[in-house]
Order: sequence, then C-alpha cells, then structure tokens
Amino acid sequence: MATQTTAAPNGVVQWFEERVRATALFNALLHVPIPVEAKTYYLGGITLFLFMVQVATGTLLSLYYKPTPEAAYDSVKYITSIVEFGWLIRSIHHWAANGMIIFLLLHVIRIFVQGVYKYPRELIWVFGALLFAVTIGFGFTGYLLPWDQKAFWATTVGTEIAAAVPFIGESLLQLLRGGPDVTDATLSRFFGMHVLVLPISLALLLAAHLTVVHQLGIANPKRPEPRPGQLPTPGLVQRWKPFFPHYVLDEVIAWAILLALLVVLASVSPAGLEDKADALVTPPHVKPEWYFLAVYQLLKVVPAIGPLTARDVGILIPMLAMVVLVTLPFLDKNPEVAKRKRPVALIIAAIVLIGMGILTWYGGQIPAVAVAAS
Amino acid sequence: MKRSRTRVAFLDRAFRIGVLSACAAALALVVAQTVLAESPSPSAGASGAASGSPAASGKASSGPTLSGSPSASALATATPKPGATAPAKIDGNTCYSCHTQIGGAQHTIADQWQASIHGQNGIGCADCHGGDPTSDKITVSMDPTKGFKGVPSRQQTVGVCGTCHSDVERMRQYQIPTDQYAKYKTSVHGQKLLLSNDTKVAICTDCHGVHDVKKASDPTSKVYPLNVPALCSSCHSDQKYMDGYNIPTDQLEIYKTSVHGQALLVNKDMRAPNCASCHGSHDAQPPTSTTVVEVCGKCHTATQALYDQSRHAELVNGPKCWTCHGTHDVVKPSEARFFHPTPPQIDCGTCHNLADKTLKLNADRFQNDEDRRCDTCHHVDSLLYSQAQGIKSALDKASSAYDLALTRIAAAAEAGMIVADADVTVTQSKTSLIQARAAVHTTKLTEVAAKADAAVAKAKEAQDFADARLAESQNRRQAMIIVVALIAVTILALVLLRRGLDHTYQAG
Amino acid sequence: MDPVTVGSPGSGSDPHVQAEMGRRRFVRLLLGFSLVSTVSMIITPIVGFLIPKKVEGASGGGKVLAAKVADLPAGSGKVVAMGSKPVVVVNGEGGVKAFSAVCTHLGCIVEFDATLKHIVCPCHDGHFSPASGAVVSGPPPKALATVNAVVEGDSIFLVAG
Repeated sequence: MATQTTAAPNGVVQWFEERVRATALFNALLHVPIPVEAKTYYLGGITLFLFMVQVATGTLLSLYYKPTPEAAYDSVKYITSIVEFGWLIRSIHHWAANGMIIFLLLHVIRIFVQGVYKYPRELIWVFGALLFAVTIGFGFTGYLLPWDQKAFWATTVGTEIAAAVPFIGESLLQLLRGGPDVTDATLSRFFGMHVLVLPISLALLLAAHLTVVHQLGIANPKRPEPRPGQLPTPGLVQRWKPFFPHYVLDEVIAWAILLALLVVLASVSPAGLEDKADALVTPPHVKPEWYFLAVYQLLKVVPAIGPLTARDVGILIPMLAMVVLVTLPFLDKNPEVAKRKRPVALIIAAIVLIGMGILTWYGGQIPAVAVAAS
Repeated sequence: MKRSRTRVAFLDRAFRIGVLSACAAALALVVAQTVLAESPSPSAGASGAASGSPAASGKASSGPTLSGSPSASALATATPKPGATAPAKIDGNTCYSCHTQIGGAQHTIADQWQASIHGQNGIGCADCHGGDPTSDKITVSMDPTKGFKGVPSRQQTVGVCGTCHSDVERMRQYQIPTDQYAKYKTSVHGQKLLLSNDTKVAICTDCHGVHDVKKASDPTSKVYPLNVPALCSSCHSDQKYMDGYNIPTDQLEIYKTSVHGQALLVNKDMRAPNCASCHGSHDAQPPTSTTVVEVCGKCHTATQALYDQSRHAELVNGPKCWTCHGTHDVVKPSEARFFHPTPPQIDCGTCHNLADKTLKLNADRFQNDEDRRCDTCHHVDSLLYSQAQGIKSALDKASSAYDLALTRIAAAAEAGMIVADADVTVTQSKTSLIQARAAVHTTKLTEVAAKADAAVAKAKEAQDFADARLAESQNRRQAMIIVVALIAVTILALVLLRRGLDHTYQAG
Repeated sequence: MDPVTVGSPGSGSDPHVQAEMGRRRFVRLLLGFSLVSTVSMIITPIVGFLIPKKVEGASGGGKVLAAKVADLPAGSGKVVAMGSKPVVVVNGEGGVKAFSAVCTHLGCIVEFDATLKHIVCPCHDGHFSPASGAVVSGPPPKALATVNAVVEGDSIFLVAG
C-alpha cells in the first residue's frame, strides 16, 4: 500500500499528465509512509491551515487598508463597519492570528514531549523555532495596524521591552520604532514587516521545514532513530500507515473543525476597535498582547542578581530562553525519546511552561498603568 | 609607514597647540573676570549712593506724612525702582544693619523684610515705622521727632498700608489696585475696627503678613486663592475667638463638602470660588438676598441669564439662587431637587395673606437641604406644582431616554459591534439634556420641554443605531449557526469517507 | 475504490454489497454537497468584500469633505461630523479653521455664533475664539482641539491626524 500509485487513466487528468508529467512528483510528495505509532494530533497541519487563512484574509484586508496614521484607523473602521463581510474577514484574521500562536505552541510542546526533535531531525526543529519567532513577529507587527488606542499603547509598552536589552537596548528600540516614539514611522515599518518581510521569511522557512520533514518522514515517538552502523532493535518490525489519503483526510477534518471555530469566534466576538490612537492620552489599562505578557511581567518581578540590574535579568532570561529554544537539539544530548528516560528535560519544560502560564495570568490581572516609567 | 609617522607628528603638534590655546583662553578669562569684578564694584557703589540718597531723603520726608495724607514730595523723590535699588537700601539702611546684629527675633524680622515683596522693591523700614535710617546713632534714627513711631497700633496699621496702597501714582508701576483701603472701610472687618474699635477683626497684616508680605499671586502666599479658605478659617472656625459675634464657625467644614470646596481644595481648580469670591476680600461682607444673584452670576453667567427670565426673578421676595442651592453647602444639582419624597403640608398662610390671598413671600434660605425643594412653597394642589411636575417629567423623560441610549450602545459594544458612529448623536442628545436642565432656571415648561424633546429625539436616533447594530449581531449569529451546520455536514462526509478508506485499507 | 468490490467475496446480488453500494453513493452525494457548500461559503464573503461600496465621501481615508466653500461664506461656521466626532468648521478672519466641536467643559456640542463671531457652547455659555479655539470666556478649562482643514478647489476637507 505504501507503493500504491494514483492512477491517471484518461480524460482531463490524462491531458494534463501528458503536458505536465506531475504524477511522479505527486506520488513522491503524497505517498510517504508514517509509523503507525506516530501521533501528531494534527497540530502542525492546523498551524499551516491557519497560516493559509491568514494569507487569504490578509490579502483581502490589504485591499482596503491604508498604512498611514491619518487613514489607518478610519480604513479599519471602514472595513469593519461598511465593507460587506469586512467584519468577518477582519475578525477571522484576528482570531486565526491568535489561533496560529496557540497551535504553534501546542505543536512545539508535542514535538518536545515526544522527543522527536532528536537525531536526525535537529534541523526541522531549528527551522520550526525560527518559524515560531517569525509568527510572534507577525502578531506583534499586526497588532499595531488598526492604529487604535489599544494597538498604539500595546506597541508602546511592547517595544519598551526591547529597550531593556543591555547596551543596545535604546538603539534596538529606535530601530523597532523607527525613532524614539511610536509614530507614523513605526506604522510604516510594521506594515512593511507584516505584509512583506515576515510572509517571505515564513514561506521560505516553512518550505525548508516541510522539505526536511518530507525527506526524513514523520518520526516514531516510541523509539529513537537508529544511527548509521547501529543495528535496529532485533525482533521489532516497523509497521507503517499511509500519508495519503488517510492522514491527509484526518488533517482536512481537523481544518474543517477549525474553520467552524473561527466562524463562531468571529460571529460571537468580532474584532473590535477602540478610540483612535492618541499619544497624549494614556488609557488606564495598558498592556501588551497576551503572548508578550509573560516576558512583560518577568521584567517587573525578577530581582537584580550580582552586577546585573533587575531589568538586565528580566530581558536576559527570555533572550537566553530563545537561544536555548533554537539550539535545543544540540544541547539535549540524551538520545532517548521515551518519557521516563528523560525526566530532567520534561520537568524543566514543565516548570518553564507553568512559570510562563503564571506570569501570563499575573500580567493579565494587574493593570499595568505606568508605561515602563521605571 | 612614513606617512603614518607624519600623521602622528601632526596630531602631536595639533594637540600641543590645543592645550596651549586652552591655557591661554583660561588665563584670559581669569584676567577678564578680575578686571570686570573690580570695575563694577565702585560703579555699583556709586549707583547705590546715587539712587540711595534720593530714596533716603524721600523717607525723611515721608516719615511725617504717615500720619497725614500721602505726600507729593514723597512721590516726587522716592519713587522706588523695583529690584534695582534693593541692595542700595540695605547698604544705606542702618535699621537693617543694627537689627541684624541684635539677632534673635529682630534678625528674623530683618530677614523676612529683605525677602518680602517690600524688601525686594526697596520699601524700607522707615516707610512704615518712620525715623531716619541714614543715621547709625540710635538716638537720631529712632527719634520720635524724626517721625519714628515704633510699632503701629492695629488701627494705625490699616492707615500705614493705605497710605501707599491707595496712592494711584505710586502703585501704577506695580499694576495693582488702589481701592483696598476704601473697600476695607466698607467691610464688616473695617467697620468694626474703625467704628467700634474692635481690634479682633482682620487687618491688612493678618492676611498679608507683617514683615513677610508676599505677592497675592505667589502660591505660598496666604491670600493665594487655594489658601484663602484656610486663611479665613484661621479666625472664623475658631469658636472661642468668634465668641460674641453670633455667627457660625462651621463654614469651612461645610464648604469642604460642597462642589465648590471639592473643586478648589481637592481638584485645585483655580476657577472654583474661595471665600473671597463670594464675600469679597478687602470689602468682606456676606452677600444679601439682593446681591446673591449677581454674586453667583459672576461665574454662572448662562444660568443667571436664564434665571433672569423666570417668574422667580420677577418676584420681590422671590426665591434666589441660595433658596434652592444653599450657600456654603452647594451640592451637584439633580432631579431629586424638585420634590420631597412625600409632599409637606404647607399652611396657606405661609405664603399668602389669608385676607386677600395676595402673595406674602418670605422665602429666602432654608437651613436644611431637604427643604430646598419646589414643593416646600408650591402646594401639591396648586397649578404651579403641576407645572413643576411637568418640568420634572420632561427632564426625567429626556434623561431616561439618554440613559437608555447609552445602555443600548454599551450592549452593542459588548456584542463586539463598533458603535463609535453613534457618538455624534449621543453628544447632541447630551447637549440638549444639559440645556434642558439649565432651562429649569427659567421656570418655563415650554423652554424645558423644547430642549428635553430635542434630547429625547437625538437619544432615540442613537438608540436606533445601537439597536440596528444589535440586530446585525443577532443576524451574524444566526448565519453562523447555518454555516457551522454546513461545516458539520462536510465533516460528516469526510468522516464517512475516512471510514470507507479504513475498510479499504484493512481489506487491502 | 475498486479493490473493495473486487476483493470482497460474493457477487453483486449480495445484500451486504448492495448496502455498501448505497452507502457509498450517499457518501459521494454528501461529499458533492459539502464541496459546493464549502466553496460557496468561501467565495461569497470574498466576492462581497471585493465589491466596492457606493458611499459618499472617502473610504475611510482620513479625509472628509466638510463643506463647499460656497456654503461657508466668510463670517459663518457650521458643525459637521468627521467620522464619529463632531467638528466645527468656521470661515473667519484667519481663513477656514476647524476645531473639535466637543466643549471642553462638560462635552456639549458647540455652535458658531455669527453675530458675536465666537464659537459658543449653548450649555454654559463658554466662548471660544474662532481663530485659535482658545477660551474667550466662561467655564471651559481649555481650548478646543484644532482639526486640520484644507481648502482644495471649491471644497473644504478635514484631515485627520
């Protein structure tokens, strides 16, 4: 069954086949075996689906959006309240963005817990970690675009995080904002990043990520991959299941459920719009988007350690965490994948996740009034 | 290699030149400073002497004039130049040099004077105390024949201050009024002091300070608007001190709770009235029922204009501002101000001559806030009561329509709808509502109703907008159910297809 | 699809096979319906979104037509809505100027008084200068915020910013 081929006998398919000769390519792409033990929970695929939704809705939104401080707010308001289905397109874009981050996070957790980032899949993980960074960048740059009070002030305090980086913080802040403050320059910058730089980066990284996944196949979470020269465990026969159409169909079902979820969220809780951005009026509850709350809150609660100020510690921890995230397969030398054979890694991960959860919750509770005045 | 060496040599030379020129510049600066420091000293002395002598002679002649009228000679000779002459005053002022040497309280007084607005503008000791400040002999400088009068009595003090401060020519350069003395004479304080010789009443120095007089615009001055309530209450809240005057001593406590007190003392809103805004300062007197409308109208111009159109304003002893709003205890007005919860039983004779039924008004002020209501005077069975009712119900209708619109808009916003476009109509409704409330002062139902109706109409418009948004939200949710159902069918089809595949797979 | 029929025992007359055939037809029908409904569900909003709206004024462009110059002769003024905010446009001595029409005192909508040549709040008699928006008299604590007004040809536009 693994060698099953899709027949292209006659008619239109035959006509195209003669002119494109794609059958072999499709066979190579689709007919890949998956270990029967593999459990992906379709998380990566869902993230991919949400990205495609973002590309579609984002392209539509860009047809009406005007990236200048004078017009941005009004154009978003126009899209949301005047253009037919504008509310739907914008709300789906809004919710799919949040969903993308959530499912990406779940995907990372799944990969980590199953230990499938180890030999020979280190590069898949590295590309994945970079994809994570790009996705966060999407969220961060997109959040400013409506140019309302929430967007403006979340960006103000969000970019403020960058200023905490030792030595280059101030320059980094200016680089992000395109000047000392959040202004029209910031809006232009964020728009360009959001619709050009990041999509291209994401597409390239995604291509690399998926190519290597395709080349190596989906991992078996029960057993480590045998190294060259190493004999496979005797008496064990790897059983396989087909990727197409079985797995693909399951994935599509998951996508359909997600689509329904997006429609429900968009209808019940559509993307809102606060008052237009005003640099002179600080609203009472300024805080960054939820996925920045952990870092934002960390900056406030960590103590100074030795020669490092609390601010240094607060920013060095997430920076270090990002480095660890990207280089994890090279730091974690344990070849085992079974959960009980890697307790330290799992406990550390659990502590980090719970810690981030608590910080996020805490950051969401306390209205952060003072705009990083410290 | 050679090139780099020449460059090094060049840099070295440049550095040396730089250091040398810096040294030269520093030297030049020191020399210049020394020269400059030496040259101004004599000239300052000269100018001090030049400006000091006429001032001194002015003082010599102004001494005797204190008891009399402000003299023309003083004007001609001793017109102090603000600031410029201040140091000269100290140089030529033997009072200052002696009294600072005595130390203690005398030193303090001298320092206070020097820092005061008088000291800074060259108004010297002798200007108030007389004597000859040019002589360093105590027998000369403090000789009563030279006009020395020591500490003026409280009655004298008012005259001492008034001598200069009522002099238009003298005060012109400072751009301050000159009517304080004249006003003081008309105040309750002044009357008691000058006619009954009551020295407990406030005189100039009690409010402005003695030697440490500050500008009224100085925020640390006791007469700065924010500080006035504390200043007045320093006597007026002192029960023992006020004993015998038969006036209350709780004004400040009451004022603190009022809208005026809150605005001034809590919000530091300088536009809010302090004691002096209503009672006057130098001419302090309680407002009377004939002046109160003007007093309140000084700020509440629009309200006064409306009140002036009212029937209340036409009546001789009719209700004034304070009849309904009180005095020190003014609170934020509301529709609750119209009626008692249960209408009081009013005796006809309270307002009417029982014989000929003509009006006999004596409503002026009510001690209790609960009595400041329409139905305290307008009997439940009267025609005017029903008119007041009409006015109230028009207002109630407008404010509930406005509130309803706000609730609907909030509900639409809660449903995630964008409601900013209702802002204009809501604001228009609010504008009319505020105007309707203000129009109550005209006591005319038609005036109030016109504004109230406009408020209702605009509120309705805003409410319709919000309702349309809510309906739209409902539509979306219904459409959502259909879409979700369709997706469910798709999922079902895919699941069935998947199951078929499993069959195939197992079979194969 | 074929292997099942081929691989299954018995021939076409078997009731199991018949049921299987019926099930398969039903699934195929359902799939066809789903495909059509899904495609139309996706296409409808997109097409609807792309069709331009025939709305007067700018498409949320931050530039609003306030008035024609002819409708706003020198010494007159009027209140217009700029999006969700009321704006008072005046043609005074300093040319065409525009200010937020929300009084800084209690938030009433101000008017232009042509006789006084002041912007006046009807609620508490606050007066503002039509040249600068500054408080001339009355209770307002601060000046009206300036809104950019530009005259292009015969039209007066308000520009957000």
